[in-house]
Amino acid sequence: MSALVAHPRVQLVLRLLLGALFVYASLDKIASPAAFAKVIYQWQVVGPVPSNLVAVTLPWIELAAGLLLLAGAWKREAALVVALLLVVFIAAAALVMARGIDVQNCGCVSVTANTAPSAWPPAWTKGVGWFLVARNLLLLGVAMALVVVTPVRRPAPLALPVPTE
Amino acid sequence: MAVDWKRFILILVAGASLGLAWNAGSGRGMALGQSVLVQAGDELIATRAGKVLLDQGALFLDARPRDFWRMSRIPGALPLPEEDFERAFQEAEPRLRRASAVVVYCSGYGCEASHLVARKLREKGFAAAILDEGLPAWQDAGLPLDEEPRS
Repeated sequence: MSALVAHPRVQLVLRLLLGALFVYASLDKIASPAAFAKVIYQWQVVGPVPSNLVAVTLPWIELAAGLLLLAGAWKREAALVVALLLVVFIAAAALVMARGIDVQNCGCVSVTANTAPSAWPPAWTKGVGWFLVARNLLLLGVAMALVVVTPVRRPAPLALPVPTE
Repeated sequence: MAVDWKRFILILVAGASLGLAWNAGSGRGMALGQSVLVQAGDELIATRAGKVLLDQGALFLDARPRDFWRMSRIPGALPLPEEDFERAFQEAEPRLRRASAVVVYCSGYGCEASHLVARKLREKGFAAAILDEGLPAWQDAGLPLDEEPRS
């Protein structure tokens, strides 16, 4: 497993996927900070004024870490920032679930108010629940793989012996 | 694993600073000091002031979905759910006309319904205050709740 994760191409794919996801997730929130703040209020983890600060700063931290991952610069540190964010998201989701609060749009990627209920994607993929926690744990695993594992280049295969006649 | 902690902190600080700068300078920003649910014209009242109004006979309106009102409510509150406003408004209108003061509440600072209902009431010519931080703050203050189930 660790050999697979340490493969340079696997590292590249994980880095690009995680970076692209975090850049993509930051854009809608950057465009509409007030809508994002409303979503954070619904989580009821911190009060309105601290929620405003989160709404204004968090998407830019996601963007910065995502762009660094895409660029391949400061890879470990950017991945560690992503891991820290994911730990915070998982803890906040656990708090929301433990208190039985119903958050229908987690605000993870899109912050537009969910109007008409649509069949796809199903509601359980958008709200705060076990799916979100499982997804974030998976992403946390990817981020930590980028932090901890050093890519290992396999030594080039030895030159095949030239058949002699 | 060799993480450069200076870089790690720098990413966090630079991201947060960019966010604050963008909020201050982009024209898309928002006021940080108060809830974004509060708009010009909204009148907020604190929990204790709400209790004083209740004792003076003010009409309380529950902006949450009707099922929540059925389970529990501030004593005497009528249901005026945001998603069923027109119908519920017709039921509540006679009481609104007689009310000395009107207070709308919902389920806390994350809930926009009380703001929306108060604005719809204003459009109809009724002044209504919004109970700041709503029902959770009311309960935290140990104020009375009517928990008799209603149909």
